[in-house]
Amino acid sequence: MPPLATLADRLRTALGTDAVITDEAARRTYDCDGLTHYKVTPAVVVLPVDAEGVAATVRLCREYEVPFVARGSGTGLSGGALPRSDGVLIVTSRMRRILEVDLGNGRAIVEPGVVNLAISQSVADRGFFYAPDPSSQLVCSIGGNVAENSGGAHCVKYGFTVHHVTGVELCTPDGDLVWIGTPMAAEAPGYDLVGVVVGSEGTLGIATKVAVRLLRSPQAVTTLLAAFRTVAEAGAATSAIIAAGLTPAAAEIMDALAIKAAERAVDCRYPEGAGAVLIVECDGPTSEVEAEVAAVVRLCREGGAFEIRVAADPTERSEIWRGRKSAFAAVGRISPNYIVQDGVIPRTALAEVLAEIDALAAAAGIGVANVFHAGDGNLHPLVLYDATVPGAYAAAEEVSGAILDLCVSYGGSITGEHGVGVDKAAKLPRMFTEADLDTMQLLRCAFDPGGRANPGKVFPTPRLCGEVPRPRAADDAPPLPPAVEAW
Amino acid sequence: MSLRDLTDTCVHCGFCLPSCPTYQLWGEEMDSPRGRIHLLSQLLDGAPTSSTVVGHFDACLGCLACVTACPSGVRYDEIIAEARVLVESTARRPLADRLVRAGMFALFPYPRRLRLSRGLLRFRPDPALAARIHPTLGALAALAPPLRRPVRLPPRVRAWGARRAVVGLLTGCVQNAFFSHVSAATARVLAREGCDVIVPRGQSCCGALARHAGRDALARRSARRLAATFARAGVDTVVTDVAGCGSMLKEYESVLGTPVPWRAVDVTEYLVSLGEPLAPRRPVPLTVAYHDACHLAHGQGVRSAPRQLLAGIPSLRVVSPRDPDVCCGSAGVYNLLQPEAAMELGRRKAQSLVDTGAEVVVAGNPGCLLQLDAALKELVGARAPRTMHTVELLDLAMRQG
Amino acid sequence: MTPVRPDSVLNALTSACGPGFARPATPQESVGGVEARWLVTPGTTEEAASVLRVAAEHRLAVVARGAGTKLDWGATPAAVDVILDTGRLTGVSWHAPGDLVATVGAGTPLRSLQAVLEPAGQRLALDPGSASAGATVGGVLGAGEAGPLRLRFGIGRDLLIGVEFIRADGVVAHAGGRVVKNVAGYDLGKLLCGSFGTLGVITSATFRLHPLPARRAWVCRSVWSPLEVHDLLNDVVMSSVVPTGIEIDLPVAHLPPVARQRGAEAPRGPGMIAVLLEGTHDGVAIRSSIMQKLLGGDASTGDYAPPWWGRYPFGPDDVALKLAVPVQDLHAAIYALRDAAGVPVPIRGSAGVGVVHAALPGTISPDEVTAVLNAVRGALVTRGGSCVVLAAPARIRPKLDLWGPVPGMNIMRRVKEQFDPFRLLSPGRFVGGL
Repeated sequence: MPPLATLADRLRTALGTDAVITDEAARRTYDCDGLTHYKVTPAVVVLPVDAEGVAATVRLCREYEVPFVARGSGTGLSGGALPRSDGVLIVTSRMRRILEVDLGNGRAIVEPGVVNLAISQSVADRGFFYAPDPSSQLVCSIGGNVAENSGGAHCVKYGFTVHHVTGVELCTPDGDLVWIGTPMAAEAPGYDLVGVVVGSEGTLGIATKVAVRLLRSPQAVTTLLAAFRTVAEAGAATSAIIAAGLTPAAAEIMDALAIKAAERAVDCRYPEGAGAVLIVECDGPTSEVEAEVAAVVRLCREGGAFEIRVAADPTERSEIWRGRKSAFAAVGRISPNYIVQDGVIPRTALAEVLAEIDALAAAAGIGVANVFHAGDGNLHPLVLYDATVPGAYAAAEEVSGAILDLCVSYGGSITGEHGVGVDKAAKLPRMFTEADLDTMQLLRCAFDPGGRANPGKVFPTPRLCGEVPRPRAADDAPPLPPAVEAW
Repeated sequence: MSLRDLTDTCVHCGFCLPSCPTYQLWGEEMDSPRGRIHLLSQLLDGAPTSSTVVGHFDACLGCLACVTACPSGVRYDEIIAEARVLVESTARRPLADRLVRAGMFALFPYPRRLRLSRGLLRFRPDPALAARIHPTLGALAALAPPLRRPVRLPPRVRAWGARRAVVGLLTGCVQNAFFSHVSAATARVLAREGCDVIVPRGQSCCGALARHAGRDALARRSARRLAATFARAGVDTVVTDVAGCGSMLKEYESVLGTPVPWRAVDVTEYLVSLGEPLAPRRPVPLTVAYHDACHLAHGQGVRSAPRQLLAGIPSLRVVSPRDPDVCCGSAGVYNLLQPEAAMELGRRKAQSLVDTGAEVVVAGNPGCLLQLDAALKELVGARAPRTMHTVELLDLAMRQG
Repeated sequence: MTPVRPDSVLNALTSACGPGFARPATPQESVGGVEARWLVTPGTTEEAASVLRVAAEHRLAVVARGAGTKLDWGATPAAVDVILDTGRLTGVSWHAPGDLVATVGAGTPLRSLQAVLEPAGQRLALDPGSASAGATVGGVLGAGEAGPLRLRFGIGRDLLIGVEFIRADGVVAHAGGRVVKNVAGYDLGKLLCGSFGTLGVITSATFRLHPLPARRAWVCRSVWSPLEVHDLLNDVVMSSVVPTGIEIDLPVAHLPPVARQRGAEAPRGPGMIAVLLEGTHDGVAIRSSIMQKLLGGDASTGDYAPPWWGRYPFGPDDVALKLAVPVQDLHAAIYALRDAAGVPVPIRGSAGVGVVHAALPGTISPDEVTAVLNAVRGALVTRGGSCVVLAAPARIRPKLDLWGPVPGMNIMRRVKEQFDPFRLLSPGRFVGGL
């Protein structure tokens, strides 16, 4: 591809030879992220070391009119970092400095390649933490979290990435570096651009610096595990906890199949005979946590829990979490392949929906292990299959898609935290009308009229910016005339 | 499982990335376990073994930290071993590299040749000068151990007092030539703990070096010979004090495809397994930093036994450096073949050890000790903590008990 | 542009809203001093959409109005043709107590919503200063207003999980949904929050709710100076007591900075710091006593908020300022403001997040206001703080730079161009003349 060959040279001049990868075998290693079903080899891969490198790359993409896709650690589950074969993959893994920590103001400014957990680790000894904790937090990058508006087990109480980012230095699709929001203060005048950029899945630009909120570590944290005979009971207990006005920091449920996988992987020794386990974590001032835990224990017992373990120390606490944290990867031990799904339903519909998922799975003869953030109705059904069996993947895909339809039919969402990416673009019209999607496209046109920022993601049928049906600004919008005198 | 099956177990989750030293150094997918598995799949699909691909496999330390980190249980240790064999048999290395490797494998696995080469160490060439000829020669010069009088162990070291076990002792190759004092300490410690120690003559290399370089035929030959040597000695337990060797010995059944009549153990886990210690320890009022050798911690899962033994020494304070799971850069002969990467890893590990404030650094692997010695001296010169083998410290504590 | 025939517009608006719900505006019906020409009160989203279609067709400027508590906020509008009153777009259309979610019409007064939620033991954790005057949900969201609860719960955009709104061309659009965890599509709701009605007319909003606490207590202590506040604030923030709100009130008083007063015998300062604690009965009791000890001085605990809690320090004729600064710089910003003002300046607000309001007298000259703004903004610029004029008397307003530097202004301009290319929605009231 002659034009792209010169692009690689220009990139080498701008970023240094070490930062540009053109070798085919090397490029191929970047062909997918955590979603392995779709693979595309990028034309060029670059690894800039700073914001200026990202901007220089994006400017060159503009000059050559090629698309670009950003990638952090490549652990996303919706294919957000799936490259373009005709484009540049911009990898932020070398931008991993924590630039500033200001505990007095509860802020840190970090580069996008910084690993999520590294932020909390760097301030833990001084009594602070960064709240959003996706399960992949020991490897996923903040830049990726910003793109996907990542959540995690503790988001039921603490919110998601968008609640913890106050400012972003954005590399716009034109290659300009612009600060939006504010690093240190609570708000800035103007539109909430940070609010839409977070979760925009790389389609509005690339975050080259992120200002995050740091919170005081809670005085007390208590974790407990309650074993129930059925998932319905566990779900009902969760509803009871929420209905009682309690605000747990985390409420996670695993069903029997997920527990079995976790046992095999990490020998977590959850209570035998459990149809489901509910892990609840309470944190805050000691006096409040004690009361909250007591209430949770009582509600679990009343809800039919046959065994309740309350962690007495940090070791026991991490023991309880071990099984839950290993769940996704552990499923690999009971099934050669699996699809991780991500859907949301109103929490009160939990028992019903899970029963329907069971029915779907049984009808298709496919196993579905369920792990979910019970506190906010975010399901992660793990649809099991064996890729060597012909037709198995298609059948699993069908069940996986049916589960999403189920979520939407209950008034939920097709994605709680993994994003739309390439995986769910086709499903977006189930949640939104054409008018809704066209309106969202207006935003995309404002940021990226050239359509170069991660095109093909999120929206099923992206339109060129001129096509979005709306009044054409042919008159170039002059100020309105003064009030017309009455006739 | 076929190699394809092994690579298929990887679900591409990326949890191995933070544990991989080369990913931490360079941030490139190709130098991460996930990326290397991907490259191997490409090779299995017929892609050519280009110099780029070879380079990424050569850059792998084989530290196995990823095996510990992987939540799906991917056997990267087996994958990388097979990958190296594939690379060796299909790649075309530059002449200088081939000469250096040939030289190393003509020398290191042969204890007698090593002993003869000891004389060369008297002429210590300047590492910088040597590096100009080839980086590996520079590394050899920088890492060359101080010469000590070799200790010859008798064929049987008798237990002190009541005998509670009979074990064989692996004296190794490089260990035998340059660290025989460590083997002697191991023998003494075992003897004081009631073991008769059998030291078969003419032990060959265990084959670890060859296996980690993908030299399959040499690895198998060495393994067969050594297995037979200990079989002949009639022991059911073979003790080693070299992490890399211990790791290799434990793989013999899968390497040879046949059962082996003895089991391999690291000296620390063996001592703990004996139960109540027999020999009293005298107080050693020092602060030591315990360095987890990769092939002991990741390769064999031995982490608590050494710490337990050290805890049994009165007045000894044991600390761990931050990031204990990250390799020091020694990784067998990695520090000879990839000197730059090894030096950077060594520097980071030295810094974390110095930061503990310990006066002594102990580890269960002579390769690590060499690497750490060089890195610590490079970092803090004369103030560098002393390095010694775990078993040497035990020996010290038992001497006047 | 061809002049519009007023009666054809009125006819069209009446068709849209129904007879009796569209009429010419009275002279008092103005926005920011600009008189409107028509007033409409659509009863449904579809009717409101029709109104906007009419406006688009005739190129009429539309401003939405709820309770009108903030109509004079922002810059002087470039034009106001139609006031779209949301008074009939009201009511809680959906409340799922078990899921802590509610959907409510934009014209619903916030306090009415709270009244509906209270029997279920829930609340929308949003308590802006204009709520007691009847402010509607739509207006609170549009103005980006928030109150003391923002420390713990965030502001409107943090609580909004779904939105229905009407575009400038009259098309009804949605974003978000009815579940809290949702990353499907762009979160346009956040964009609309604080946009002063310049991107769309919100007709309905879905919020995540919170349980009402079993007990609330305020621990209050008198203070003398911003510096004293700074020290106390640090202690409070670093404690593990988890306050729900930390507010300060520094009324007019020309007193030299005095070091922190210890002991109850020290004379009471004119200002006050108040910390709200929420939780269980026993928990709040324990935490209050910890907070009291921490604050020292004449700190005391009570079950009711101090009278100034959650109220703006400015009146309708004042120049109303909002400062948003890093918490650590709050005292410096207040000193800069007071020094530059030359007149006593009352300050009140959410010290815990660094967002406070101030009042300059309405009789002040525009040059004086500009000098104050420049001084304060100059002091804040390196740390990313801002000082915004929320409202000012109409005669001085056009001469002021109400917003100061706006990060990302160019992008905002492009967003406005996409959403409202003919500048029909609240034109000119927002940043950069948008």
